[in-house]
Amino acid sequence: MLISVENLTKVYKTYQRGSSFKETVKSLLVRKPLYVHALKGISFGIAAGELVGFLGPNGAGKSTTLKILTGILYPSSGAVDVMGYTPWRDRKKYVAKIGAVFGQKSQLLWDIPPIDAFYLNKAIYAIPDRVFKRTMENMVELLDLKDVIRKPTRQLSLGERMKCEFIMAMLHQPEIVFLDEPTIGLDVIAKDKIREFILEMNKKGVTFILTTHDLSDIEHLARRVIVVNHGEIVFDDSIATLRRHWGEKKIIAVSTVHPLPDLTLPGITVTKRISDYQAELELDLAVYELNKFIALVNKASTIRDLSVQEPQIEEAIKVLYKK
Amino acid sequence: MRNNIRIYLVGAKTALASRMAYRADFFMSMLIMLLVEMAAPLITIMIYQNGATFPGWTMYEALLIQGVFLLGKGIAAPFFFGIVWNTIERVQNGTFDLLMIKPKSVLFMAIVTGFDAEDLGKLIGGTTLFTLALSRLPMPGLGEWLQFLLLFLLTLAVLFGYGLILAGLGIVWIGNFRVYQIFESITNFGLYPAAIFSKPLQTVITLVIPVAILGSVPATVLLGRPSAGTIGAVGVGLLFLLFSLGFWRWMLKKYTSVGG
Amino acid sequence: MGKRVTVGQKIGQWMRVLKATAFSTYKEWVAYRSQMAVTIFVGPVFFLTQIFIWRAVYAARTTLNGLTLEQMLTYYGIVAVIGYLTFDSADWDLQWLIRNGSFLTYMLRPVSYCFLALAQKIGHRLLALWVELIPVYLLFIYLFKIDLVPAQPGWAILSLGLSFILVYLTNYCIGITAFWFTKTEGLRRAFLTLRDLSAGMLIPLTFFPKGMQKVLFYLPFQFITYVPTRVFIGHYELAGISLSIPQVVGLQFVATLVMFAVAQLLWYFGIKRFTGVGA
Repeated sequence: MLISVENLTKVYKTYQRGSSFKETVKSLLVRKPLYVHALKGISFGIAAGELVGFLGPNGAGKSTTLKILTGILYPSSGAVDVMGYTPWRDRKKYVAKIGAVFGQKSQLLWDIPPIDAFYLNKAIYAIPDRVFKRTMENMVELLDLKDVIRKPTRQLSLGERMKCEFIMAMLHQPEIVFLDEPTIGLDVIAKDKIREFILEMNKKGVTFILTTHDLSDIEHLARRVIVVNHGEIVFDDSIATLRRHWGEKKIIAVSTVHPLPDLTLPGITVTKRISDYQAELELDLAVYELNKFIALVNKASTIRDLSVQEPQIEEAIKVLYKK
Repeated sequence: MRNNIRIYLVGAKTALASRMAYRADFFMSMLIMLLVEMAAPLITIMIYQNGATFPGWTMYEALLIQGVFLLGKGIAAPFFFGIVWNTIERVQNGTFDLLMIKPKSVLFMAIVTGFDAEDLGKLIGGTTLFTLALSRLPMPGLGEWLQFLLLFLLTLAVLFGYGLILAGLGIVWIGNFRVYQIFESITNFGLYPAAIFSKPLQTVITLVIPVAILGSVPATVLLGRPSAGTIGAVGVGLLFLLFSLGFWRWMLKKYTSVGG
Repeated sequence: MGKRVTVGQKIGQWMRVLKATAFSTYKEWVAYRSQMAVTIFVGPVFFLTQIFIWRAVYAARTTLNGLTLEQMLTYYGIVAVIGYLTFDSADWDLQWLIRNGSFLTYMLRPVSYCFLALAQKIGHRLLALWVELIPVYLLFIYLFKIDLVPAQPGWAILSLGLSFILVYLTNYCIGITAFWFTKTEGLRRAFLTLRDLSAGMLIPLTFFPKGMQKVLFYLPFQFITYVPTRVFIGHYELAGISLSIPQVVGLQFVATLVMFAVAQLLWYFGIKRFTGVGA
């Protein structure tokens, strides 16, 4: 296991501050401590070359986990081993081998070209000249940034800046890259390009840990999803399993030549009745098989158009978040 | 070590380039930095020109103390005192973490990314005042110069210590730029000959809180009349530096316990 | 056909906006009261330096430029007090709003920004009254034994009030320059230092060379600090000109009106540029 996390807990101590005047005065003398359990003993392992997505509502413990894994925060208890290092203890040696992209915190300097920031990183990570040149040119090529890296950062679009952040994070060829909301605010083309880049790098053996709220990111990138809620892991499995989390279901949109038959049958839930000839519904395959459904509708009303889809993982996520 | 110096130079060059993106404003800001520092010397000159004095001190002697102090600040401000605003800003907007994911000490990263080109104006101002004052005074001998140099190094070390404490405070006292005012008010005593203060106060600024070491102590050595308690001041200065390093580490530990 | 609004109703409306804005700013700043409390330490410490500087200077004489040691220290004490009463960051606030574009939201409101920002100042200075001013005032009186009772309280209050508005207007004008300059930080700092110097904050204006004093007399800055301080002390003098208290407060009033006119003019041109160039 490249990354192994065992029984990680994090407890924050804050103080209860009353809202009424009497409580505020009392709190000046005696403060009642309040313990927030951000992480309640999570465990997981990540192998080299994986691409894992972390999901969870705000305050679930995602960023706490990310901060502990990057060595910025130390836990209350538990063990973390990444490539043989304990992140917060061996910080300086450990972070030389990892990269991080924080979607909302830029490492670039506003008024000067990104390439100047690259050179600063080169010095900090002590990257040899030739390796630096090769790595940078490779990534600039992949991300199509040749004309961009010498323009002042403030003249770049958000998509271009984000791509540069990726280059910054990977110039020193880290084995693991942590991504925190990397596609936030980007247009579809930029998102696509970045996802392509991540997949390409992943193919070359870089392990990616991605935390995001963007489910389409997850669908395009992650093969494995870990869902965190209330400081605990509530799901750790593949995307396919996530989709089937609440059973085998299909989303069907059907339009017919003649009026639709009575669809109030067990296993069929009509979600939208557009007209007598068109409807959208949810089919529970465990109760009503797909071929039987198609046969039923065709026989009764002659199908004009039919679409069959996997259910959106959004629904599954919502269920997990509510737990 | 050589690698670290290189990193610092690249960081300084980057900060300078960044600041030079607004060239006209940069040079004007530098000039203004220079002038703003001249407030205390200006007041001193006006006092003397109106016929008054600090008893026992000629105008140029008083200005030399201020020159030493401002020279010290002029070296500190651009090259390492920037850790104060750098830390306060970064902790406030969440980018302090970006310093922590680099394979270098957080303090080093704060210094590297805290180079402030604008403050070079303070350096020019301090150098000008120092040379001007010195030019109107009898030239110190080699012995005095050597003693001065050593004490001045301590001045810089103490300023660094103040920077560490202010930056450390910036980690827990989120977004409070007023810490600069605390620093200015305390070190203000260093701009004047220690002798004008009451005996108890003199003891405090020489042997308790290292303020006299910023101006009075090195300047008086250069004038050939070392202040009382110079050796004590040296000891206190060194202790202060050690204390401030420990304080910074302590504040950093708090940050990594809570995560900002 | 719009509804006719009487003058009384208009004033009532403005008072409501004033109250609401002032109180909301007050509450905003309460969250930063520990930062404000730093002043209780910083002010007296700075003053301590002044005490020793002037004690040393007065060791060999009893008066300097017509002021005794006691009057000199009173001067600095009053300057500090006026500072707390009249401080604002209208210049920085306005240029920040303009630079990041959120100024737009103020233009969409049916109240003048000038009035709104003044109401904000009233709000946070009300808080400063008991967090900064009163503690330091008491420290000055009891610890440093400075006599901070004005010679003519009525005129002193009037003068302070005018200074309050004048500081606001000058800061406001600096802020307006942000419509033209993208980075005003350097200019602003220069202006503030120059202003503080010519307002007599760092040293009584009578210490300046006679030629400079004549210039300083005609600049509006003396009315910010020097004039109210002199009104407090009880007699005014600059560039050899001596005026009675009512006369100099009257002059201060005129200066405030002039500054108001300048502010309105600058604002007019600034808004023209802002809406012309676009957000």
